[in-house]
Amino acid sequence: MNASSALVTKTKLMGPTEDLVSPVQRMIVKMSLRKQTPSDFLKQIIGRPVVVKLNSGVDYRGVLACLDGYMNIALEQTEEYVNGQLKNKYGDAFIRGNNGNTSLQFYSI
Amino acid sequence: LVDKCIGSRIHIVMKSDKEIVGTLLGFDDFVNMVLEDVTEFEITPEGRRITKLDQILLNGNNITMLVPGGEGPEV
Repeated sequence: MNASSALVTKTKLMGPTEDLVSPVQRMIVKMSLRKQTPSDFLKQIIGRPVVVKLNSGVDYRGVLACLDGYMNIALEQTEEYVNGQLKNKYGDAFIRGNNGNTSLQFYSI
Repeated sequence: LVDKCIGSRIHIVMKSDKEIVGTLLGFDDFVNMVLEDVTEFEITPEGRRITKLDQILLNGNNITMLVPGGEGPEV
């Protein structure tokens, strides 16, 4: 009984992904998946074309001009997609950050 | 706890009957999450929606549940 319980603790301590992966593979994985917080991500995507998706299902595609800590967003050359395409907005579009029932998903194209 | 999931697959259930499956890159104090290689599932109307590559930032406001290593309702 003692031997089997010792084995159990050993596998628990090793962590889920480490045992079967060779050191070279592990290095590759670590290089491509750097730890990245949302603020770093946001600094990266400013100036890139993004899609902002609201919880209501509306999509806004445009170039990210700027944004702030409350997730208020300024987009340029925005197009609004509901099911098909509804409005075309050129120039600036402002999207309010937190609405209580709006969540934002941005993805850069 | 969420910190252990960084780098692995995670499945996020939102308040609005929507599920997101992706690889967790990072998160912050408000549980906003940065995900990669993301698939989006709507629960009631149909199965899968869009497979979004690159990266997404998901607002933590509407996240209900996080499931490490999960797959969506359908593959």
